[in-house]
Amino acid sequence: MATVISAAAPPQQEPQPGPERTPSRDRVMGVFRATPFTYATLIIVSAVLCVPLVFVVSIALSSDQTVNANTFTILPREFHWDNFTRVFSTDLPMQRFLLNSVIISTGAVIGQMLSSGLVGYAFARLRAPGKNALFIVVLATMMIPAQITMIPQFILFKELGWVNTFLPLIVPNFFSNAFNVFLVRQFVSRLPSEIDEAAMVDGLGFFGIYRRIMLPMLAPVLIAIGIFTLTATWGDFMGPLIYLNDETKMPLALGVQYITSTSQALQAPPWNLVMVGSILLTLPMILVYYLGQRYLYEMDISGGSAGVK
Amino acid sequence: MSRLRRREALWFYLFASPWIIGFVVFLLGPMIASIYISLTDWDSFTPPKFVGLENYTRLLTEDPVFWKALWNTFFYAAISVPLGLGIGLWLANLLNKQVRLRKVFRTLIYLPTLVPLVATAMIFKMVLAPSGPLNDVLGVFSIPGPSWLLESIWVKPALILLSVWGAGGATVLLLAAMKGIPRELYEAAEVDGAGAFRQFWSITFPQLTPIIFFNLIMGLIGAFQVFSQVYILTKGGPDNASQMMVPLLFNEAFSFYHMGYASALSWLLFAVILVFTLLAFRTARRWVFYETEVK
Repeated sequence: MATVISAAAPPQQEPQPGPERTPSRDRVMGVFRATPFTYATLIIVSAVLCVPLVFVVSIALSSDQTVNANTFTILPREFHWDNFTRVFSTDLPMQRFLLNSVIISTGAVIGQMLSSGLVGYAFARLRAPGKNALFIVVLATMMIPAQITMIPQFILFKELGWVNTFLPLIVPNFFSNAFNVFLVRQFVSRLPSEIDEAAMVDGLGFFGIYRRIMLPMLAPVLIAIGIFTLTATWGDFMGPLIYLNDETKMPLALGVQYITSTSQALQAPPWNLVMVGSILLTLPMILVYYLGQRYLYEMDISGGSAGVK
Repeated sequence: MSRLRRREALWFYLFASPWIIGFVVFLLGPMIASIYISLTDWDSFTPPKFVGLENYTRLLTEDPVFWKALWNTFFYAAISVPLGLGIGLWLANLLNKQVRLRKVFRTLIYLPTLVPLVATAMIFKMVLAPSGPLNDVLGVFSIPGPSWLLESIWVKPALILLSVWGAGGATVLLLAAMKGIPRELYEAAEVDGAGAFRQFWSITFPQLTPIIFFNLIMGLIGAFQVFSQVYILTKGGPDNASQMMVPLLFNEAFSFYHMGYASALSWLLFAVILVFTLLAFRTARRWVFYETEVK
């Protein structure tokens, strides 16, 4: 329990400016008044949603015997913290999984941040014949499901000899994607154009403007893109499943599933270690969300409503 | 065109080149290849054999598993997406009140959406086990719990349950949007004597429809492409009761190496998604409210 709560609690300590904190009016209007029923519902729902997570922690701290006998309880009665170190020393290459996840995600994040900023800036600011038609193509590609290109891409990477390497999971990110281009474009469109006009008068070229003027201002949107990419890559299951079949190449998301699928036939999977793996998979996401919250908020809302209007 | 304008255009294409190259190499090229592959019988090792539309006709007329997977995917999308949005909206409305510890509740409700899908699947494998926690709880009320993932009538509800666990994602988005609704609207309604339910239905809901609509579309598109949880938890079983479009496609392509058949399947999936998206847009005019139309 403690782990989950402490991971969740910090946002509360930080008073946030803006609309979050409604100014105290003379009196709270009827619809906005919280009744005991409101609290009861919220407490029950939050509890129900968090029970599975509490179980995860409890199982992760259980001994092998408890797990095999299926006698674990919701609140942990035993605290086998050594499970968290044992997971790295069994014949399961867990540290390898973790390292692979870090390598793949880092590559993907760098690729998207480098390329999306450049392309998005071009679509927002530079004038060129055919640009608007091209932007419609960008938007249209968002509708095409990844499954259409899955098979030909696999063939392509197989021909390149990239199967069973990280390259198919990293390299495409260096070519940006429609959603990120759209996000950056919207972001740049809101920046005053006097800034780059002034820079141009001062004799900066287009790349100079991008590098020296735009890039620092793009930090919030690029961080948001970094978070989106990290979350998507870190948790990606299908990509590694298609391209990686060597145990030592697998990232954590595939590795955790691999543990349960291989031991199935012989004996029950080591659930405590699987749950430790699941925690290792989840904690970075909570951390990233917590650190990047304000960027995500900004992007989600602007991106979310701009997408339909 | 002036020299400066030409230079600017050149820079545009230079800057946009990552996306343009990526579009040609990873999207347009593969799409064209996919159309061709879908017209062949190909195992990816021997040369492809052109068979015309046979893959499509076989899928639509001879393959009972395809129709079952299509129906299952419809069922899953049609229930999980509106249900998740409905619960998300309900919770957002509760959190929009003057609740103490709002941030704590919001964080707890959002927490499940931060759990990667693979870990979620592992968690639900444990929760939904025949003698797992969920059935223990049901046992307290003397309800005999089913073997969720092993029974063909319960496997789809189990997958829907897993998806609804992430309803907090919608809650956070909708809550943020609710904060943007002008208070004056509620004040006026209160003066007019409208009750809480009426105010929700006549102010909150219409004001949120653009965001609800956006989430509905994205949710449906996502639900039609559900893969990981099915692959990990059920492999489509029992008796194809939880077989869905993408896991079926994956199996055809990477277990049986029916590249042509799988490619045809991917185009049918695209068609289904397209039809639903267009359908949603067609009906949107009737219930989605845009401020700009009133002004």
